Amino acid sequence: MPSLLRKIYPILFVTLIVFISVTLLIFTESFTSAELQARLQQQVEEELESMFPELDDSVDNEDSEVYTLLAGGETIGYAFLAVGTGYSGDIAILVGLEDSETVKGIIILSQQETPGIGDRITGDGFTGQFTGLNIDAVNFKQDGGQIDGLAMATISSEAVIDAVRDTAMEKVKLIEGVE
Amino acid sequence: MTELISLFVGMALINNFILVKFLGLCPFFGVSKKLSSAVSMGAAVTFVMFIASTATWIITRYILIPFEVEFMDIVIYILVIASLVQIIELFIIRTSFALYNAFGIYLALITTNCAVLGITLLNARESYSLPESIAAALGAGIGFTLVLAIMSGIRERLEIADSPKSMKGLPVAFITATLLGLAFSGFGGMI
Amino acid sequence: MASFAKEFSKGIGVSNPIFILALGLCPALAVSYSLDNALGMSAAVIFVLLCSNVIISAARKIVPKIMRIPTFIVIIATFVTLVTLVFQAYVPTLYQSLGIYLPLIVVNCIILGRAEAFASKNPVIGSIADALGIGVGFALALILISFLRELLGTGGISISLFEQLFNAGSLSFTLPAFSEHPLTIFVLSPGAFLVIGLLMALFKWIGRKKND
Repeated sequence: MPSLLRKIYPILFVTLIVFISVTLLIFTESFTSAELQARLQQQVEEELESMFPELDDSVDNEDSEVYTLLAGGETIGYAFLAVGTGYSGDIAILVGLEDSETVKGIIILSQQETPGIGDRITGDGFTGQFTGLNIDAVNFKQDGGQIDGLAMATISSEAVIDAVRDTAMEKVKLIEGVE
Repeated sequence: MTELISLFVGMALINNFILVKFLGLCPFFGVSKKLSSAVSMGAAVTFVMFIASTATWIITRYILIPFEVEFMDIVIYILVIASLVQIIELFIIRTSFALYNAFGIYLALITTNCAVLGITLLNARESYSLPESIAAALGAGIGFTLVLAIMSGIRERLEIADSPKSMKGLPVAFITATLLGLAFSGFGGMI
Repeated sequence: MASFAKEFSKGIGVSNPIFILALGLCPALAVSYSLDNALGMSAAVIFVLLCSNVIISAARKIVPKIMRIPTFIVIIATFVTLVTLVFQAYVPTLYQSLGIYLPLIVVNCIILGRAEAFASKNPVIGSIADALGIGVGFALALILISFLRELLGTGGISISLFEQLFNAGSLSFTLPAFSEHPLTIFVLSPGAFLVIGLLMALFKWIGRKKND
């Protein structure tokens, strides 16, 4: 009997270790994921408030994933997330629309572009250019739009521009469909 | 298809695992003194990357995502890679002794090679599809082999070169890697 | 206590993991383009190294011999996942810029190496000293590399990690004139090889001077 135990002991031991590990991780994850959700929500709300200072309420339209932004019961704009594929990974962009055709502003929520080159897309010099543009004008100047791309960071700039324009066009249809 | 090819070329040349992502540096500076061992190591890594990417993709798609336990990926992937390497080693011993002599010692090192875990994590983070994962794995592996082979050729010459005493060995290998990295950054405009 | 100090100082000097042993190079090169990254990475490595060394050393008598390496890997991977989850929730910007290099701590040669070579053979106190020494040695090297890379590559230094964590205000300065025309190569990947290569040569040179 002890020899049988000696044979299965290594297997039992590793199983036990894995079991402890999994339990510990599930416990930690349930704790941190709540924190993460709350943080993301708060970040989006703060950015929206800086974009629309008069904002006092918002409605989350779950089907279209568009926030309708309200001030004193009046609709003052719309907001949604756009995701672009950059040089190294996804770029998440929060887009605010003033009405169904004008961009109020964009904010880069997360990106992993090359430091010093591609990550300049987060700067005001780039994102500021979107403010007040008609959705159709969200394109490079040489392609008939009104935006100057960043030198040496064409892929990153294009990813943001394409994501904003394409997602905006898609969401506008949904917004107009609701009204 | 063109997307897969550009992903493959991008992983091999532009986002080269050694020169740009700094993955798999231990064999780069350790093994790469002889051309033949560099190529054997590269081939072994490419093969394991391919198998591991396929296996982890299946596990992620059919186990981790349905049960919403994606956060377990690190633990699962490292165990999968370790067991795969063991299985491959057993398989090679049983089938071909010559092959075992050529690759055996490298296989043991591969479990803790960051390039293999790196490619599986990268595939998961980018949520690549199965063909994309395979293209990325093969591209990364071939880029790894290429740079390992180039470096071994240069280091064979560096051994006899008359460099300052403090620069001999690793420091001069790092400076060589700098120049190689600069040369490879020229591929950046390709895609 | 004397042996504690001895084990501790070994890691910083004669067996510095990066400059002397050339271990754990992948994070040292990949994330060292900014000081924020270096601090975050160091904290993560020290935490994982310390916890896994303690657990492995405490359990060294009951770990079955043939399952030694798998057990170590599971223990290390657990702590790494723990760090990843915590970073993701509390320092999301740092989590993003460390990218896959945070989970890759699992295969960092330093950690498995210390588990195998030291913690599995020595009592807990010695293992703590060993982990702290090697960890601090790693951290100092990483901070030195990233200080040089960020300073030369962007023309200044800025640390915002503490601001995110404790609202403690950020630390930053720029070199006048230089910051307008920084040597961008130092924050790009070839610059990492260059800085580490030159630092290694410098350490070798100092070592040779001492021996003469």
